[in-house]
Amino acid sequence: MGQGSGRQERSKKLELATTETMQAEADIQSDKEETKETKTRDERLRLVFGMADLKNKAIGLYNIGQTCCLNSLLQVFLMNTHFTGILRRITVPSSTSQQRRSVPYQMLLLLEKMQSGKQKAVFPSDLACCLSAHRVKLFVQYDAAQLLLTLWNLVKSQVTNPELTEKLSDLYTIWIQEYMVCQECSFETKRNSSMITLPLSMLDSSSHLLRTLEECLHYFFCPEELTGHNMCFCEHCGKKTPFLQSMKLAHLPKTLILHLKRFCFRKSASIHKLCHSLRFPQVLDFSAVLTEEQCQADASEKASWQYELFAVVAHSGSTDYGHYCAYIWSLVECKWYCFDDSRVCQVLWDDVKCTYGHSDFHWGQTAYLLVYMKKNSW
Amino acid sequence: MAQWQELQSLANASLEQVHQLYSGSALPMEVRQCLAAWIEDQNWHQAAEPLSSHARMLFHSLLALLDDRMGSPGLGNEDFMLKHNLRKARRDLQATFEEDPEKFANVVANLLQEEQQILRLAYAGQQGGAAPAPSAPPQSDRQQEIQRRLADFQAALQDAERAFRHLEDAQDMFDFCYKVHYLPGENRTSDPEYTKQVQGLQAKLQKLDQSRRDVLAQMQQLLGRSETLRDFLQQELGAWRERQQSACLGAPADTSLLQLETWFTTLGKGLFQLLQLLRALGDLRHKVTYERDPLQVEPPLLEKRLQELLTYLLQSAFVVELQPSMPTSSKRPLVLRTASKFSVRARLLVRLHDRNCRMEAKIHIDRDPPKIRGFRKFNILTSNSKTLVAGDSPQNGLVCDFQHLTLKEQKVGGSGKGSKGPGEGPLAVTEELHLITFTLAYAYHGLELELETSTLPVIIISNNNQLSSAWASILWFNMLSADPKNQQFFVTPPPAPWPQLAEVLSWQFESVAERGLDKEHLHMLAEKLFGSKPSPESTLAWPKFSKDNASGFSFWAWLDGILGLLQDHLKQLWKDGLILGFVSRKQEKKLLKGKRTGTFLIRFSESILGGVTCTWVEHPESGPPAFRAVVPYTASELASLALPDIIHDYQLLAEENIPENPLQFLYPDRDRDEAFGRYYSQRQAGSLREKKEYLNQRLIRVSSRQTNESWQAEEELVAATQDLETLQLQPRDPGPLQTMPRGPGPLQTMPGGLGARDPEPLALQVGLGVPELLQPGPGAVEPQLVLQLVPEGQGTLQVGPGGLGTLQVMPGGLEMLQPVPGVQGMQQLGPGDQVTLQPEPRAVEPQLVLQLVPEGQGTLQVMPGGLEMLQPVPGVQGTQQVGPQGQGTLQPGSGTLEPPLALQLVPEDQGTLQVEHGGFELLEPVLGDLETLETVPVDLDMQEFLQSLVEGLDSGSGALETLEAAELMPGMLEAGVGGQERLSPRPARSTALLDHHDPFLPQADDGALPAASSFFAEANFPPLHIDLDDFQ
Repeated sequence: MGQGSGRQERSKKLELATTETMQAEADIQSDKEETKETKTRDERLRLVFGMADLKNKAIGLYNIGQTCCLNSLLQVFLMNTHFTGILRRITVPSSTSQQRRSVPYQMLLLLEKMQSGKQKAVFPSDLACCLSAHRVKLFVQYDAAQLLLTLWNLVKSQVTNPELTEKLSDLYTIWIQEYMVCQECSFETKRNSSMITLPLSMLDSSSHLLRTLEECLHYFFCPEELTGHNMCFCEHCGKKTPFLQSMKLAHLPKTLILHLKRFCFRKSASIHKLCHSLRFPQVLDFSAVLTEEQCQADASEKASWQYELFAVVAHSGSTDYGHYCAYIWSLVECKWYCFDDSRVCQVLWDDVKCTYGHSDFHWGQTAYLLVYMKKNSW
Repeated sequence: MAQWQELQSLANASLEQVHQLYSGSALPMEVRQCLAAWIEDQNWHQAAEPLSSHARMLFHSLLALLDDRMGSPGLGNEDFMLKHNLRKARRDLQATFEEDPEKFANVVANLLQEEQQILRLAYAGQQGGAAPAPSAPPQSDRQQEIQRRLADFQAALQDAERAFRHLEDAQDMFDFCYKVHYLPGENRTSDPEYTKQVQGLQAKLQKLDQSRRDVLAQMQQLLGRSETLRDFLQQELGAWRERQQSACLGAPADTSLLQLETWFTTLGKGLFQLLQLLRALGDLRHKVTYERDPLQVEPPLLEKRLQELLTYLLQSAFVVELQPSMPTSSKRPLVLRTASKFSVRARLLVRLHDRNCRMEAKIHIDRDPPKIRGFRKFNILTSNSKTLVAGDSPQNGLVCDFQHLTLKEQKVGGSGKGSKGPGEGPLAVTEELHLITFTLAYAYHGLELELETSTLPVIIISNNNQLSSAWASILWFNMLSADPKNQQFFVTPPPAPWPQLAEVLSWQFESVAERGLDKEHLHMLAEKLFGSKPSPESTLAWPKFSKDNASGFSFWAWLDGILGLLQDHLKQLWKDGLILGFVSRKQEKKLLKGKRTGTFLIRFSESILGGVTCTWVEHPESGPPAFRAVVPYTASELASLALPDIIHDYQLLAEENIPENPLQFLYPDRDRDEAFGRYYSQRQAGSLREKKEYLNQRLIRVSSRQTNESWQAEEELVAATQDLETLQLQPRDPGPLQTMPRGPGPLQTMPGGLGARDPEPLALQVGLGVPELLQPGPGAVEPQLVLQLVPEGQGTLQVGPGGLGTLQVMPGGLEMLQPVPGVQGMQQLGPGDQVTLQPEPRAVEPQLVLQLVPEGQGTLQVMPGGLEMLQPVPGVQGTQQVGPQGQGTLQPGSGTLEPPLALQLVPEDQGTLQVEHGGFELLEPVLGDLETLETVPVDLDMQEFLQSLVEGLDSGSGALETLEAAELMPGMLEAGVGGQERLSPRPARSTALLDHHDPFLPQADDGALPAASSFFAEANFPPLHIDLDDFQ
């Protein structure tokens, strides 16, 4: 082994020159952009009819250094034809430097690169560069839910066209009414809030395991009493009083993202992964899951709460180190695909079901983010 | 299969695509064909990347290989053209791509990709179009999916291995260049040449990093898919476990493990291969590593995931292939008796092991005993460990076969062996569940595990009579327990839903007699259990199933009695659907009502353990149809006479004393002989002239009825019987018939061998024809005597003194019972009694049946209808009629070989009985004088036999010259072997009718009958003898 370790020392001095190659590839893409300009009219036309993405294929993304999480999320975005439909209409930033810093634009370029080439996988290097300019560092492990939020915020803030921003919000935003009722004076405060994911606990208040997604959702919308150090300040009583906090669902978007909180803190303060099986359905009827009190929506809104599973972002490994992959239903081909970085393969629902989890397997794949798509919305 | 070969085996349409692909291709098809394997094994994609020296290397290798091939002697003259083409191709290739090998790599890479596309399309088309091959065994979707996925998995694994080899090559190349070009010590940044080299190195490293990540992604993907496979196999194994469990209960289920073993082994092998690959991948890092090397962090994660997967796979692959069972009761496994041998077998479905490492399996019982008070503890005797046998054994596989194990209870201080003191524990012995566990130390490729598996819970009994209730527990547990290891199950046994129970009960019949229960059967059982309106939601509680209820035995005991009867005697009839079996009284009437007279059905008795009976319908000229049933036959009767024969020969004494068989048509409308013909035992064949040691015998069953009485419904008969019990059998004369009431009532005197019988309504059924078997002692010549007495009518069993005479059967008469080897083999003396002579069963057994029917005023009429005649001696009146002819001739049946035997009965004045045999011999027994019984000794044995009869009678009644039938009957009762007798009075007249059907046979053995005499003595029996003089 002596020889081997000797080499190791030497080789450590080498560094991956990511930035250089990325630079090179970015240059190549800038002239592609011109051809894109010429096609604008054509493009628009196709967009109107949603044609542009009808031939989208499932293409892998190379891992360029712990980017499995980013890759999985990008796939979830780029396989969503509603999202790409909006993405294709963004205004291209005028200057090259702006282009490089624009996350939506880089996403679009990546999409083009994936769909135009014949490769089985492409490098998301430019986008990674762009993100690192927005303080999303490379070579760092991310929590998928957190990175999703970051990505979403970056995209939304950088889409300049207000119409598109609106559309994006429509596509992803969940509207909820929060009620806070003081338990002493019955003073009620109401607040509308929006969120991009529903963070669902995998345990109920008495730490019992929840076994199905429906249970989780139901529990999420159950009123919670805030007592002890959770007490809130009541304006009327003028002091901290116990409150009853409840949430009512007001509006669900086309693309609904559910976050299963598999990582939880234990008393020891170390993060612990819950591996137990949690079943989720392929078809989800929200209005049937929630009770009347848990909704704040009219009948037509509720009637539209019919969802079909679109994507599962699965995590394998421990809290310290793990791997993400994404199972995505191709809206174009009507097939399930598994995206494992550069490797993409067609799978079946049985494979997706494997991500339910299993209490015997601490290293196996478990669903972490679930993306549901409104039925008949395409 | 290699890609090129696969392509060539495609259908024409696809082949056309291949031709098109190569028609304009820069790579001629000859070259593709010639170097197929090599071309497919190279990483052309990687070579096609710019700045790769790999392309050049590949290009030159290809040219060199072509040179080799052209020069090889394998290509003879006939391949001259091929050689020429290859030569041309080589020249062209060199000319075209010498300067640009990357382009060539690109061409090849694209070609290979296109080929794959063609293959994919072709296969997709096949799947959609062609039906699955009909020859293949039907497989579920899941099984096909497993097959497909296993194949995919193996292919992907090969892919990964190939990718790994390419990675190795790329790394070696980089390593080499790095060592040559990179000189960190010197400051040569100004040297443009050096800068270029370093840049090249940088690019190579980039490539290497990409390859590594790609291989890792591939392995992640592979692992993800194997997790699905694991789940599939798990489901299949679960299904197998369920099948095994129900097969244990008797269900017809395929419990072969072959398929699962193949799958588990394939997947296990693949995963171990992947593990090695992963380790090798991790080792690559020791040669070359760099900052953020993916090989640093990812392989450990993958390995952990893989090991977890393998552990789980192996753990579940260790199964109990054969649940513990004793060889003596293999159809009822899981019940073990202490000190009896049993065997059990475990198997590891993943057939991978290290031949240098011995794997030892251990067997334990109750490793983790439940906390139940009084729970018995056992030891496994004989060795508790065994080496796992591999490969070459007949079972072929990793098997540990434990045989000849025995269990011994651990003595707990103070308590007796095997028995549990009262109140010692909450569970009965037959509700105590024990677990036998196997452990196996497994080691393979550095993975060390302790595998463990348990049998289904077993019940340990110490006595065979616990077997039935132990089996009930096994049924209940396996039907209802969600947890196959729940030893506390019977602490609170759940009730069984009827549909589930019905299925399990049906399996019991299926396993015993190859025919389950049909809807009607189950309906009757459900009604019996749940009352009039059973529903699918009905549930049965455990105690109601297994514990005694009002009728004295549990539902299960009743059912198990029937199962036992089926297994031993009625298997074939049940299998062929001739036994309707479970029919309630009500249903039975409904079924038979509309059928013609003589239609009968066979059903199981509901009141007797293990009894079967026939019910037939008769339509009297006026009034509602009557339903009659014979007293149920139990195993002991069926042991001597099979049911089809009973049915065939069954006689009912009808008006005018003409015996008739009321069983004519099997329900619904099938001729009796057509239905049962093939089950009749073979009629006697052979000749008396041949040296036959014994006479043929044949038992038949007879019932009789009053001529002048209308049929009674059975209910009425019940009452009658009860009357009988209380009132009757008190003859005016306290004499001879008083001998009978020894038990609670003579009619209830149960033969010892028949076991318990219900006292109340059953007495009736008993009366209707339960046979009595007088089992003789072990003497040399052991005739058997069967007596069936069926009382009819109001149950007034009056044996008046007047009738006494009629009950007397002269010993002479018995002597006259000449064994008739003829076809019918039966002597009918009248529609009343039946006497069967049953000699020792070891010989060819001719059979003789004697029926004695007293008629009229103490007159015993010997009917000539029978082939032989017997002269009973009437009592006081002394009138004796020997049938119209006065002389019976036994006509041999035309179909038999037996010579005819003629029996001459000489009326009493003559006192001689002549038996003619086939015209050749004459048997001349002298009536009345036993000593003077003369036979022409054709056959010594026969004479001996007759002699023995006489002697038997003799001994039975002391110095009797004569013997009364009345004596005989109680004698039989006393012997306690037979069944039961009835005296059927005839109220119309003041005489009693001896109504029965059972053969009498005295025994040669003195010991068998003496009870009779003593009995008579006690009863103060007036010697009702008939004077010998009467006959002489």
